[in-house]
Amino acid sequence: MANLNVTLNRLSLQNPILVASGTFGYARETAAFIDFSKLGGIIPKTVTPQPRAGNPPPRTIETSCGMLNSIGLDNDGIDYFIEKHLDYLLSLDCPIIANVAGHNAEEFKQLAEKLNAFPQLAAVELNISCPNVSGGVDFATNPELTQQVVSTFRNACDLPVIAKLTPNVTNVVEIAQAAADAGADAVTLINTLLGMAIDWKKRKPILGNVVGGLSGPAIKPVALRIVWQVASTVDIPVIGVGGIQSLDDVLEFLVAGASAVQIGTASFYNPGLAARLADELSTVLDEQNCESVSDIVGTLVLPEK
Amino acid sequence: MTECHGLAGLVPTAVQTTGRVVEHEPMARDTMRLRIECPEIARQILPGQFFMVRDPRVTDPMLGRPFALLDTYDGPTGEPIGVEFGYIVVGKMTELMTTWRVGDECEIWGPLGNGFPVPKDFENLALVAGGIGQTPFLAVAKEALGHRSYGDPLRQLSNFPQSVSLSYGARSAEYLAGLNLFEIDGLDLEISTDDGSAGHRGFVTELLAARIAGESPPDAIYCCGPEPMMAAVARLAQEAGISCWLSLETPMACGFGICFSCVTRVRLDDGSWDYRRTCVEGPVFPAETLVL
Ligand SMILES: Cc1cc2nc3c(=O)[nH]c(=O)nc-3n(C[C@H](O)[C@H](O)[C@H](O)COP(=O)(O)OP(=O)(O)OC[C@H]3O[C@@H](n4cnc5c(N)ncnc54)[C@H](O)[C@@H]3O)c2cc1C
Ligand SMILES: Cc1cc2nc3c(=O)[nH]c(=O)nc-3n(C[C@H](O)[C@H](O)[C@H](O)COP(=O)(O)O)c2cc1C
Ligand code: FES
Repeated sequence: MANLNVTLNRLSLQNPILVASGTFGYARETAAFIDFSKLGGIIPKTVTPQPRAGNPPPRTIETSCGMLNSIGLDNDGIDYFIEKHLDYLLSLDCPIIANVAGHNAEEFKQLAEKLNAFPQLAAVELNISCPNVSGGVDFATNPELTQQVVSTFRNACDLPVIAKLTPNVTNVVEIAQAAADAGADAVTLINTLLGMAIDWKKRKPILGNVVGGLSGPAIKPVALRIVWQVASTVDIPVIGVGGIQSLDDVLEFLVAGASAVQIGTASFYNPGLAARLADELSTVLDEQNCESVSDIVGTLVLPEK
Repeated sequence: MTECHGLAGLVPTAVQTTGRVVEHEPMARDTMRLRIECPEIARQILPGQFFMVRDPRVTDPMLGRPFALLDTYDGPTGEPIGVEFGYIVVGKMTELMTTWRVGDECEIWGPLGNGFPVPKDFENLALVAGGIGQTPFLAVAKEALGHRSYGDPLRQLSNFPQSVSLSYGARSAEYLAGLNLFEIDGLDLEISTDDGSAGHRGFVTELLAARIAGESPPDAIYCCGPEPMMAAVARLAQEAGISCWLSLETPMACGFGICFSCVTRVRLDDGSWDYRRTCVEGPVFPAETLVL
């Protein structure tokens, strides 16, 4: 049977199927539907230094083969997370990757120092790409800011660091390079695409926050393109996310160059999906005569010029 | 921010399964009743709980949609083997659902949510429904009147209310759904329509107000319907000092607590409020805890 282990610099995982931040709650909510031990990793919802109420409803609206969300990082803050969620998460038979966001490098440093006390965490993913929060959370639109935040975090925390980047820029490659230069162990591509929905009869935006992030199968082609661009030009492992809902989708991302993937929106409408995909992956790899996941990663063959 | 503990509507035994359509019948104008075989859910679901339903063949519509339990039905051995729900056609998914035929499969996950309180501590229980908000009350009424039991193990009431009434309001007579289902021994059913085409002409809240002013006023009210109507019912209950629970129909994307889209404003002890997830803390809330 194919070996499903994947290694992304300092981060080792038993398989490449993770569940994405903000689309798996704090794991507690999904216990009825998923055997956590089958997952490559769990990334709970983004945590910020201070509690945040989040945006007014409606916070989501379905669109064609996708959805818009403007949750607005609704969370109870890092201290609450550590006190109330972390014990439970760390008791699960699955690697846990915390996900954090701050307004500035100083806040990321605080977060880093607090999480550094938990070496049981597999890694920390930096959400520097949330489109739903005004006031500078979008570091990943700027290479210098990306580099600054990632190195600040790395210097204050011994855990492997993953930078989660936004597609809402002209050139993600530049940003990914900055993250790599700053010492990130991997980059996660992509966060949601900024979008909008309108009720023309009422002349009103549908989301309480006016704009929101697009996710789901509708964004898969964009995610694949960005994963491929970064994986083929920047020397850093890529975790692919965006619209994955089937085993074929997973394999497309691996072939494009992703070393691992995350299941996001699909968990909303198929609660047990991620564990099933992890179960089925080895069968396909066996059929493809791959001994390990790395045998298929980045195997895309381009047309001759 | 959202407290993640003591989530009254988090169901540790919920399951995701493939259900099979075994009946699909009209109930009223634009309103259908679906019967879905899904024993794992039917066996444990309680009145006021809901499930998420989607069509696994398509991704547009993509997300599941929440529907309240109308009733369970039994198989040949006398065990519940499926659920029924009533739905009104309002958009993408409900339009698609009208094309489902007997034998078709659907994806269903549940039971979800907290359900209504066990009706064992009340003398006169008043159920108040607006529009399609009536669907949870068939199972509530059957349980409260001792006609059917739900849950695993079957929930046995230690005490039954002396009276159970249902005040049910709709736009007009043609939208009154499944009235035959509500012909239950002991259920005091009253109807109102906005246009007077059946029952009392006017709002269902007027029926409730009359009941509160009457000889044996309710000591508990369960309500489900459009939000303005629920706000009005909550006010009537509060003025009369009657305990009142509202079942919210907040739009949901997942139904089990992972997306944080279904939030409603819940009052905190210090007088402020916080957004709480309707799917895992509700959908049934004591009226006085909500900021409507
Ligand atoms: C706990 C719970 C229990 C429920 N139980 C029942 C039940 O038993 N029976 C029942 O019929 N319903 C019930 N509902 C409501 C039901 O879930 C919705 O009616 C259903 O999701 C509609 O799905 P749809 O795809 O048909 O409509 P959608 O297309 O999702 O539309 C839903 C509503 O939003 C409006 N809308 C949609 N898109 C837009 C847009 N772009 N701009 C402006 N407005 C828009 C529509 O006009 C419609 O009124 C329940 C809800 C909850 C939360
Ligand atoms: C409702 C919702 C909430 C999300 N919240 C977060 C979050 O808190 N932090 C984060 O890093 N990404 C968040 N995301 C982005 C997802 O993790 C993922 O990057 C994105 O949705 C694309 O993947 P998908 O199409 O598979 O969902 C959220 C996405 C959705 C749909
Ligand atoms: S519907 Fe997703 S959290 Fe309630």
